[in-house]
Amino acid sequence: MASYKTPLRDMHFVYSELFDAEAIQALPGCEEVTPDLVDAILQEAGKFCEERLLPLNRSGDEEGCHFENGKVTTPAGLKEAYHDFNEMGWGALAADPEYGGQGLPNSVSMMVEEIMCSTNFAFGLYPGLTHGAYNALVARASDELKQTYLPNMVSGKWSGSMCLTEPQCGTDLGMIRTKAVPQEDGSYHITGSKMFITAGEHDLTENIIHLVLARTPDAPNGIKGISLFLVPKIQVNPDGLLGAPNGVSCGSIEHKMGINASATCVINLDDAKGFLVGELNKGMEAMFIMMNTERLAVGIQGLGIGEASYQGAVAYARERLQGRALTGPKSPEKPADSLLVHPDVRRMLLTQRAYVEGNRALAGWVATEMDHAHRNPDPSRRQEAKDFVALMTPVVKAFMTDTGSEVANLGMQVFGGHGYIREHGMEQYVRDARIAQIYEGTNGIQAMDLVGRKLPAHMGRYLRRFFHPVRDYLESKEHDFSMHAYLMPLAKAFGRLQKATAVIAQKGMANPDEAGAAAAEYLRLFALVALGYLWMRMADIGKQKRDEDNLFYQAKVDTARFYFERILPQSSALFANIMAGSKGMMKFNDEAF
Amino acid sequence: MEIKKVAVIGAGVMGAGIAAHISNAGIPVVLLDIVPKGVDNRNAIAEGAVQKMLKVQPAPFMHKRNARLVTTGNIEDHMELLAECDWIIEAVIERLDIKQDLYRKIDSVRKPGSVVSSNTSTIPLRDLVAEQTDAFVGDFMITHFFNPPRYMRLLEITAGEKTRADAVMGIRDFCDRSLGKGVVDCNDTPGFIANRIGIFWIQVAILEAMALGLSVEEADAVMGRPLGIPKTGVFGLSDLVGIDLMPHLMESMQRTLSKDDPFLAKSTIPELVSRMIADGYTGRKGKGGFYRINRTAGGKVKESIDLVSGEYNPSRKAQLDSLQASRQGGLKALVNHPDKGGQYARRVLAQVLGYAASLIPEIAENILAVDEAMKLGYAWKYGPFELIDRLGGSLFGQLLESEGLSLPPLIQLAAEQSFYRVQDGQLQYLDTSGIYQDVVRPEGVLLLSDIKRRSEPLAKNGSAALWDIGDGVVCLEYTSKMNAMDPDILALMREAIGIVSKEYKALVLHNEGENYSVGANLGLLLFAANIGTWDQIEEMVEGGQQTYKALKYAPFPVIGAPAGMALGGGCETLLHCDAVQAHAETYIGLVEVGVGLIPGWGGCKEMLQRWMINKRRPGGPMPAVIKCFETISTATVAKSAAEAKDYLFFRPDDGVTMNRDRLLADAKSRALALADGYQPPQPIEISLPGPTAKAAMEMAVKGFHLAGKATDHDVVVAMALAEMLSGGDTDITESLTEDDLLGLEREVFMSLIRHPDTLDRMEHMLETGKPLRN
Repeated sequence: MASYKTPLRDMHFVYSELFDAEAIQALPGCEEVTPDLVDAILQEAGKFCEERLLPLNRSGDEEGCHFENGKVTTPAGLKEAYHDFNEMGWGALAADPEYGGQGLPNSVSMMVEEIMCSTNFAFGLYPGLTHGAYNALVARASDELKQTYLPNMVSGKWSGSMCLTEPQCGTDLGMIRTKAVPQEDGSYHITGSKMFITAGEHDLTENIIHLVLARTPDAPNGIKGISLFLVPKIQVNPDGLLGAPNGVSCGSIEHKMGINASATCVINLDDAKGFLVGELNKGMEAMFIMMNTERLAVGIQGLGIGEASYQGAVAYARERLQGRALTGPKSPEKPADSLLVHPDVRRMLLTQRAYVEGNRALAGWVATEMDHAHRNPDPSRRQEAKDFVALMTPVVKAFMTDTGSEVANLGMQVFGGHGYIREHGMEQYVRDARIAQIYEGTNGIQAMDLVGRKLPAHMGRYLRRFFHPVRDYLESKEHDFSMHAYLMPLAKAFGRLQKATAVIAQKGMANPDEAGAAAAEYLRLFALVALGYLWMRMADIGKQKRDEDNLFYQAKVDTARFYFERILPQSSALFANIMAGSKGMMKFNDEAF
Repeated sequence: MEIKKVAVIGAGVMGAGIAAHISNAGIPVVLLDIVPKGVDNRNAIAEGAVQKMLKVQPAPFMHKRNARLVTTGNIEDHMELLAECDWIIEAVIERLDIKQDLYRKIDSVRKPGSVVSSNTSTIPLRDLVAEQTDAFVGDFMITHFFNPPRYMRLLEITAGEKTRADAVMGIRDFCDRSLGKGVVDCNDTPGFIANRIGIFWIQVAILEAMALGLSVEEADAVMGRPLGIPKTGVFGLSDLVGIDLMPHLMESMQRTLSKDDPFLAKSTIPELVSRMIADGYTGRKGKGGFYRINRTAGGKVKESIDLVSGEYNPSRKAQLDSLQASRQGGLKALVNHPDKGGQYARRVLAQVLGYAASLIPEIAENILAVDEAMKLGYAWKYGPFELIDRLGGSLFGQLLESEGLSLPPLIQLAAEQSFYRVQDGQLQYLDTSGIYQDVVRPEGVLLLSDIKRRSEPLAKNGSAALWDIGDGVVCLEYTSKMNAMDPDILALMREAIGIVSKEYKALVLHNEGENYSVGANLGLLLFAANIGTWDQIEEMVEGGQQTYKALKYAPFPVIGAPAGMALGGGCETLLHCDAVQAHAETYIGLVEVGVGLIPGWGGCKEMLQRWMINKRRPGGPMPAVIKCFETISTATVAKSAAEAKDYLFFRPDDGVTMNRDRLLADAKSRALALADGYQPPQPIEISLPGPTAKAAMEMAVKGFHLAGKATDHDVVVAMALAEMLSGGDTDITESLTEDDLLGLEREVFMSLIRHPDTLDRMEHMLETGKPLRN
C-alpha cells in the first residue's frame, strides 16, 4: 500500500520563502493570492487527492480502460472522482474567470498538478489535456469558438484532447495526412486517422473537444501547410446544447506499459465537422502554445512521481529491519537495524530527495516567471520572463522526467524484491514515469530544441535570463565565507556551462551535427547547474533560518551539501562528453550497427 | 597631356555631378548652362545646381570645400572661360542640333589640342561630329558617365576613327587615376556596352515576369541575389532609375539599332508600364513605381503592384522553392529548378547572356570589356561571361536550345571551354579567335586577388591571411564574414608582427572586400555577454588593445589601405598605423556608442593623442577632449577620405587614392618609402583635466537630454565616454601613459557591456541593422 502525504511544508518554502510571493501578489488579478491562501489551497488539494485519487491509483492501473463497440469505459471510481474533482473547482484553478475559471497564478496551479501526479498520474491526464486544449483556444480561437466551448471545458463538463500523431508521423508532423476540406458555411470536413490520443475517448464527460492538426487541399507541403481545427465529438447547437454526433470515432485503445487508467486511443475522423483555430497554415504555431505549457506540465509529472516514490522509499526504509549497520548495531533491542543505517540506502534516498526538492524549486522558478510573462504590467519584464520560460521549457521537460524516472527506479531499489511486486506500488511508479520521457516531444527532441532553437535565439538573449542572475548571485556571495563550500563548486560548474555554451554555439554553426551530438548532455549539464544555483540559495536560506525550525532547515542545508558533493560533480564528466564532439559517433560505420 | 582645368557644359543632374566629381580630384572646373528665361541671375542654373549638390545625399562632393573649385556661369557670357580648359565635357540635352551648334561655339573659343567629349548615351559619335572641323573631330570623343558620377565606377569611352590616339590615352589616364573610374573602350554602337545589355535585360526581365505570372517580389528575388545582382533586382532598379526613362531609351534604341537586332523584338513598352507613367507612377522620384510606400491611414506600408491587375497590395516576401534551392545549391540549383522561379531565371538568362555573347565583336573587342562594363555600370557581381562560366558551357548551351535560341558564334567557339581560366596562377580569358590571353592589369594596378591566384599565404587562419605582395612588403587580409574583427584576426596580427620583423620590410592592412571592416564581431561579443563571460570579454578587449599597440610599435612601418567602411574596431586598426593610404571612398568612424559601447581597442586613446598634438589646436587639453567627445559620442562617420581628415581619423599627410584598383600599389610604395631607416613612434604621455572636464561634458549631455535630443541610455553611454576622455580620476598635473589610458578604456567598456540597455542595442543592431534609440 502506497503512502503519500502532500509535501506542504516544502511547497510553502518554495512558494513563499525561496521565491517572491509578494511579487506574485502584486500582479494584476493576483491581489488576493496571499501566502496564507496558497497554503490553504494546497492543503485542500492535498486532502482531496490523498482521499479520493490516491486510492484509485493502483486499482485503476490494474483494471485499466475497457474498449467495446467504440466506447471506452474508465476504471471503476474514476467517473465519480472526476465529477467531484470538477465540482470542487480543481479543474478550473488556472483558467480565466471570464470562462468560469479561478484565475490563480501558474505558480499555484503547478503545485496542485504535482499533487495530482503524485497521487494518481493517469487520472491527472484527463484534466491536464483539457487545460492544454483550453490554453490553445484562449490564445488563438475566435471569440465565437471561445464562448461556445470554453465555459464547459473549464467547468469540466467537457474535456479536451490533442490529435497530432498519425501512424506515419510522430516527431515529424510535416508528414501529416489528415485532410480538412472547406465547406460553404466556413467550417471544414475533416477526414483521417490519429493515434496515441490521450483522453481521446472516455466516459468521464458528455463531450470531448478535439484539437486536430490537418491540412487543407491546397496547403503547402510539409510543416508550413498544417492548420489547427476544433472538432467536437458531439456537435454543439447554436443554443449551446448538444446536437448530432460528429464523424469522430474511437477505433481502439493501446495496451501500454503504464498510465493504464488513461485511455490512449486511435481516433478516426470521417467527414467530421471542424472549425479553424487561428490562421490557415499556422497550425503548428497554435499547437506550440499548447505544447509549451504541456511540456512544463510533463516536467511536473516527473516531479510528482518522484515525490511519491521518495516518500514510499523513506517509509519503507524506516520500518524495514534488515541487517546491521557496518559500524555495529544501531538498534540492538530489535532483531535488525532499519534500512536507514546503510550508506548505500542513504545515498539512494538523498539522491531522490535532492532531485525532487531541487526540481520543485526549478518548477517554482519557471512557474513564477510564467506568471510574470502573462501578467506583469511592465512589457520589458514580461519579455524577460517569456525569454526565460522559452529557454527553460525543454530543460524542465527533459530533466525533470529523466530524473523522475531515475528517482522512481531508486525508490524501487530501496524496496528490494518488494519493490518489484505490485503490493507497494513502487513498480507502478517506474512504469508510469517512463512515458513522460517520451511524449510531448521525446527528451532527445527537447535537447535539440535547447541547443538548436533556444541557445542561438537573438544571439543568446534567452540565455541571458538564466546566466546573468546566476552570475550576479555568485558575485554577490564572493565575500560570504559561510557559503564558500557551495560557491566554489557552483562557480566551477557554471564556468563549464559557459564554456560548453560558447563552444556549442560556435561549432554548431559550422556543423549542426556538433550541436546535435552534444545536445542531451548539454541539457543535463544546464539543469544540474540550475539546480546547483537553486540548492545554493536554499542552503543560504536554511542557514539563516535553522534556529526557527531546525529539522526542516537543517535538512535543506544537508541535502544541499549532498547535492554539491554527490550530484553536481557529474558536470565535470558531462563537460568532457560535450567537448568530445560528434566525430566519434558520426563516423561509426552504419553497416556495423 | 596634362589636365589642369576642365569645363562641363550642361548643369543637369549628370553634368553637375560630373563637375562635382572632377572637383573631387582637386581639379578646377567650369560649369556652364544656358541663361534661364525670366530670371535676373543669368547663372542661376549652374549656381542652383551647385547649391543643390551641397544638400543632397549621397553627396556628389567628397568634401564641401570642393564646391569652391567649381566656377559657375552661362554659355552666353562665359564661353571664354573654356579657353583655359584642357578638357571640355558636353552634357546637354540629347538633341543633335543643339549639340552640333554648341560644338561650333566651343570650337571657336577652345585652346588648340584641348579635348572635347560628349556624355551622350543615345547619339552616335559619327552624327555628332558630322559637321565639325577636322581639328575638332580629332579632339573629340564620347565619355559616357553613369549616374551618380561620383559613385558609379564605369566610364565608357568611344573614340571616332579620326580621334587622336594620344587624346584618348590622356583622357583614359585622367579618368582612371584622377577620377578613379574603370574605363572601358567601346565601339560607336547604340547604348555602348552597359546600357545595350542592361536595358535589354531590364526589358526582358519585366516581360518574362509578366508572361510567367511572377509577383514583382518574386521576380526581384530571383533576378537579385542568386545571380549576384543587387537585391533591387529589376523592378526595384526600374523604380530607382525612373520608369519614365524606359520609353525614351526604347525609342532611341529603335531608331539606331539595325532592324534585325533581337533587341527590337523586345522593345515594346508593356501597357501597364505606360499606364503607370501616365498616372505619375514613375518610380521613387514620383508617386512610387512597382513598389510604393502607402502612408494613408497614418502608417507606412510597403506595397507592390500586381502585374496583372495593376492594383497595389501589401508587399509579400517571395516564397519560392527555387529560391530556397539556390540558397544551398547556388545558381545551378536555381536554373535547374522546375518551378516558375527556375523557369524565369532560365528564360531571362538564356536571352540576356545569349544576346551579350552575340554582341562581340560588334560592341567591344573582347569579353573583358563586356564583363567589366556590367560589373561597374550595373553593379553585377559577375559579368555575363562569368555567369556563363558559373552555369557551365554545356548547361548554358542546353538552356539556349530549350528556349529555342540559336547559339551565337562565340558560344560555339567556346564549346565546352570556359571563358576564363587560371593557368599557372595567371588569369586568362578567351579571345574571339578562341585563344586564351592573359588578363593584363594596367601599370600601377596591383590586385590582391591576382597575388592570391599565384601564391600561397605566408600564414592564415579562419578569419585572416598573410600575403607576400613583393619587394619585402606583406599584406594582412581579413577574410571573416563582413571582415568583422575577431580573436582570429588579432592572433594573425600578432603572428604577422613576428614574420615581418624577421624577414620583411613593411606590413599593409588591406583587403578587397566591399568594406575594409565594419568593426568587431558584435554577434560573438553579444553572445559572450549574454552568457556572462565577463573575464573572457575583458581578455578579448585587452588582447585587442595589446595587439594594436604592438602593431603601432612594431619595428617596421604599418600602412592601412582601406576602402569602403572602416568602422569601430576596423577604424581602430587604422588609427594605430604609421600612415594610411585610403581609397577616396572610405567611410570611417568610431560608431561604438550606437551599440551602447565606447571604442575599447585604443580608439579613444589614439583620438585623444591625435587631437592633443594637433597643430591647429588652441592651448590646453580641453579643446582636444571636447573634439573627441563630439566625434565619438555622435558616432560620426566621415563620408569620404577627404572628410576623414577633418576629424583626424586620417592625418593631414595620409594619402588618398581615387581608383580602388590602384590602392594596394600606392600603399605598397608608401610602405617602402617609410621602410628605409624606419623608427617606431615615441610613446606619448598626456595630461588630462579629469573630473572638471567630465562635469562640463555632463552639463552638455544633460542639456541634450532635457531637449529630447538624447535618450536615457545615450546619457549613460555619453557619460561613460566622458569619464574615459577626461582621464578618469586624474588632474592636469598628472601624466598618463598609453597603458593608463587603455586601462581606463577597458574599465569603462566593461561597465557598459554589462548594462542591459547596451545589450538591447547590440541585439537590435544585429537583427535589424539599425541602431536602437533606447
